[in-house]
Amino acid sequence: MKSEELYLSLCEPDNSNHLWRYSPWRKVHPTGKVREIPTNYSHPEIEISLLDGSKVPDSLSIDKEDSPDKKNNFSDPVSMSFIESISRDSKFIFKAKKGTILEQPVVLKINTGSANSAINLSLEIGRHCEFELITLIVGKPDWFGLLRKGKIGEGSVINDVVVGQMKRGTLLRVDAINIGKDSQVKAGSISSGSDRTKADLRYMMDENGSNLRVLGSILSADKMHIDHHIEIYHYAPETYSRLDWHSACGGKSKTIGTGMLRVSNGSKGADAGQIFHNLLLSDKAEADSIPELEVSEHDVVGCGHGTANGPIDEEQMFYLEARGFSPDDAKDTLIAAFLNTTLSEMGSDKLHQWLAENLQGELRTLTT
Amino acid sequence: MTNNNYNPLLIYQANKHLFKRGDVHERLGINMSNDSELLKIQDLYACIDDTSILKGINLEIKPGEIHAIMGRNGSGKTTTANIIMGHPDYEVESGTVELNGKDLLEMETWERAREGVFLSFQYPQAVPGLQVGNFLRKSVAATLGEEAAKGKEFRNKLKESMKELDIPSSFLGRYVNDGFSGGEKKRFEILQLMLMKPKLAILDETDSGLDIDGIRTVAKGINAAIRGTESGALIITHYSRILEHVKPDKIHVLISGKIVKTGGPDLALELEEKGYDWLEGKSES
Repeated sequence: MKSEELYLSLCEPDNSNHLWRYSPWRKVHPTGKVREIPTNYSHPEIEISLLDGSKVPDSLSIDKEDSPDKKNNFSDPVSMSFIESISRDSKFIFKAKKGTILEQPVVLKINTGSANSAINLSLEIGRHCEFELITLIVGKPDWFGLLRKGKIGEGSVINDVVVGQMKRGTLLRVDAINIGKDSQVKAGSISSGSDRTKADLRYMMDENGSNLRVLGSILSADKMHIDHHIEIYHYAPETYSRLDWHSACGGKSKTIGTGMLRVSNGSKGADAGQIFHNLLLSDKAEADSIPELEVSEHDVVGCGHGTANGPIDEEQMFYLEARGFSPDDAKDTLIAAFLNTTLSEMGSDKLHQWLAENLQGELRTLTT
Repeated sequence: MTNNNYNPLLIYQANKHLFKRGDVHERLGINMSNDSELLKIQDLYACIDDTSILKGINLEIKPGEIHAIMGRNGSGKTTTANIIMGHPDYEVESGTVELNGKDLLEMETWERAREGVFLSFQYPQAVPGLQVGNFLRKSVAATLGEEAAKGKEFRNKLKESMKELDIPSSFLGRYVNDGFSGGEKKRFEILQLMLMKPKLAILDETDSGLDIDGIRTVAKGINAAIRGTESGALIITHYSRILEHVKPDKIHVLISGKIVKTGGPDLALELEEKGYDWLEGKSES
């Protein structure tokens, strides 16, 4: 079935669905008319380079893709088929050949411009690759959709960070990534833009020994509505995952984090945990975190979840002010520190430095 | 009044209730303070949540002097430190606290820090995500100016101070007080003291939880930061051990929010021997 047909065959998802509880599909859909599939969406600019500005090696490529969309059994069909339907002319494949090892992070920059658009991006990362990938989204559209699906090959060590910095509008982001056998993946999300973000991030660990860390550093301000849903599937033995999500919520913004850990029967030795931390920066900001577990295997190392909300710690403020920080500096420093605890775990020092500088700039913009 | 009779000092004295003292000093270009006192606390009464804690503290520290306050738990030692630093939970009911003649109680905490007050915390706060190196640079820039936190001189001072305190260079990459042992926290406080070169250092139970070697190291840092300078220090402690290494000029005994006895270094030994009971009910006034 083609993606358009699939989309139109589906009912509008119910709000009781964990995924759509806080951001109903009609609010995420570009026109709000859920039976509509917009046409003639523009093509965002897509550029690839290394972080130091140099060209990527031949072992990496990004090309237009024409082959039919591959389906998987762990994605939400509504958002996935919708982005596939509207991005027929913006379908790309990012390939990393077996054994690609890079010191410099790779930057995949997507500039949406000011027109509505979407990208359907397949990731094919071969076996035994080692590199860091930053997907940076910038622009000022009313609406942008990004679908990333694919596989990280056996034995690879990949730090995959998506940075959302659209200045306005709605961002719909859908990830569906298979984590290969014995691979080690850090999947980072940094969000400091978009009036509305709806992200549905799913990771399938159906091969033995894979190791996944999902990390979020989210900054919301004004009237932003930032909703991330993360699902991690442990469908093979000896799989390990940790989700650590930090959201700093200011203004009248609303930040949502929903997590679902699924451990199937037979995933012996699985070790999974998720925790959400929310830092409330104003009385009118709201943060909801709902971690959930579905564990069907008894022989696991551990499965846990938790959530913690709170304002800026007054004793930390006093400590910094006693060192001469003005109240504004102290507050900015504590917000940056809070977000940095997850940011610093996303990859190498080089990657971290770039992310921290980038986020510091956003912090100044959003908190002044 | 003609110009010939214009005397800013008299005008100030007649109207001082209308001004903040520091403003007037600066505007008139005169020094009204008794410059022989670095810290001057007079008739200080303070409370927390309507519970009176300090009941008339008087204390004067001159430049270059080190004083110690000793007393039982709950006697008001930490409250005194917090009041001087401006902790928002404490309320000053009456009295004055001046640093070089400037009214500290009129200042916010960060202004006091920039004026030269440093508090070594009894329980330093952990700030996960904030790297030690970054924090030190920012603290020095905030209190001593941007230039002081840059360049070779700062790096050398940092390196030298860390060496003196037996702090490895890997420390700079850690997060502030996050996962630090008790001893590491106290040494980190002293490292900040050495870098920030305050006019007045208040050391709130910096020796608590330290072993003998730790106390020696911390004492070395305090001596390096204060001795031979115009700075002063107020050491708050339960024990005489640290005072063997940092010889105080005066020791004050605080009981139930009042200084009941002041003496020289030997008073610490007397307290060690006799405890505090013999001082109950006494008043210095």
